[in-house]
Amino acid sequence: MLKWILVLWPSFLVAAVAEAVFFVVVDPQQLYLFGEPVRYSPIATYSIGFFGFWLACAASSLLTLFLQPVGTRPPAHR
Amino acid sequence: MTEKGEVRPVSLYSARKKLHVRSVSGRFARWRWALVWLTQILYYGLPWLTWNDRQAVLFHLTERKFYLFGAIFWPQDVFYLAVLLILSAYALFFFTAIAGRLWCGYACPQTVYTEIFMWIEEKIEGDHNRRRKLDKTPMDGRKFALRAAKFGAWGLFSLWTGFTFVAYFSPLDELLASLTTFGFGPWETFWILFYAAFTYAFAGILREQVCEYMCPYARFQGVMFDQDTLVITYDEARGDPRGARRKGVVPASVGKGDCTDCGICVQVCPTGIDIRNGLQYECIGCAACIDACDQVMDRMEYPRGLIRYSTENALRQHWGRKEILRHVVRPRTLIYGAFLVLITFAMIAGLAMRTDLRVDIIRDRATLAREVSDGQIENVYRLQIMNMVERERTVEIRVDGLDGATLQEGEPIVLPAAATGAATVQVRVPADAAEPGSHPLYFEVSVREDPGVTVREQTTFMLPR
Ligand code: SF4
Ligand code: SF4
Repeated sequence: MLKWILVLWPSFLVAAVAEAVFFVVVDPQQLYLFGEPVRYSPIATYSIGFFGFWLACAASSLLTLFLQPVGTRPPAHR
Repeated sequence: MTEKGEVRPVSLYSARKKLHVRSVSGRFARWRWALVWLTQILYYGLPWLTWNDRQAVLFHLTERKFYLFGAIFWPQDVFYLAVLLILSAYALFFFTAIAGRLWCGYACPQTVYTEIFMWIEEKIEGDHNRRRKLDKTPMDGRKFALRAAKFGAWGLFSLWTGFTFVAYFSPLDELLASLTTFGFGPWETFWILFYAAFTYAFAGILREQVCEYMCPYARFQGVMFDQDTLVITYDEARGDPRGARRKGVVPASVGKGDCTDCGICVQVCPTGIDIRNGLQYECIGCAACIDACDQVMDRMEYPRGLIRYSTENALRQHWGRKEILRHVVRPRTLIYGAFLVLITFAMIAGLAMRTDLRVDIIRDRATLAREVSDGQIENVYRLQIMNMVERERTVEIRVDGLDGATLQEGEPIVLPAAATGAATVQVRVPADAAEPGSHPLYFEVSVREDPGVTVREQTTFMLPR
């Protein structure tokens, strides 16, 4: 449980910030996906973007947890 | 808290003792409830307001506009959002330096929703004692009914919260239309459920654990504290030694302090700590223990305030109210306060000076410059003009900066309400007007209906060799 909170929660917070910053700057209607203009509805694009960010951030958190020196790991992870 | 490198006693995660928090009344509880009402009326109410025939507050994701009553903000206005965030941060610093975790105790959504969920819980399952008993009894018809009612009520409340959340991003009237048929789009449905699940889990299940293990603010708020910060404190000198006694007994006559050791301050604490052990990082500053203890003091006919808002210095030096208040003004609060005032003024000034017309000039990249008849040189520009008010407006364009610069087809451009219009314009300059090379050129765009609104933008004009 702790491990999952540590992986999913900070990544969620950072993903929310990244999502806001990214989509303020980039209009989803101007994105290209494999050379084709994105055809999803805006809300779909925003949502997929958010989960993309979350996934990337969660991967980073997971790796952090994994690489943490043994003595400092939370018990659930040892 | 622990030293670096040491293992934190996180086993609490798995073996968390479920808290049955006793409800409390009193003046701080009234403040807490006032803020619950205030914040939630705002939260649930705002999407229902209309303004100029549209939703008053809406982050319109599809249109990429943020409607805020009379104003419309565009992605280009993100600067104001950034300033607003900085402002909120300083406000948080300021209030934390003065009186600790005021935000946590009274206004944080985590506190507010937990308060509401606990209220529902108490209405359905009874007070803390009955809830504890219910927890221990094996599942039977009655327990099942109570549990179902509680989870159902929490669920409905969460769904309404999720629906409201989505209504900030997707127009409410469209959502309401789909509500009757449950025909929400797949993503709308998803986000309503997602936010509802979050509300339910945070306020119904996780509760104080969110503050303890998940909240970044809870971790760093300590650095804004100093010895003059008002925090919730148990007056040990007055209260100890603790012990039971009958009502009205003078404490000194039985060799005791004022604390009757009734434990009610612990029972009402939403984080389950004992404030009498001193300031602990789990304490969210909700002041429930103050209300609880004051009631005990009243019953015992002792003066109130055995647990109260006080400062480290005040306790050590036995300051009264006046001295504490005098120490509210100190370098730390002055600096935070000064930033707060400065940024607020800058923000207001920025908003007041914001023109509701914006012009972007893009040079036509295909042809830098072209020679046209009668010895003139032509440059082509694309103007993107953003009309930021909700009225149709007509704009006129002029050029200057180079002798003899003229605009071809200077027809006025009509911009729809709150929309961006684009125009391609050709500017001609006599070939001998200046040296070959690039020269500054100015576009002046003015609104016919609002004579005061003019935007002047610089670009360059190329004269070929
Ligand atoms: S600790 Fe964090 S989540 Fe808890 S009340 Fe304070 S700000 Fe809110
Ligand atoms: S000790 Fe508990 S009840 Fe008292 S203010 Fe802190 S969190 Fe609230």
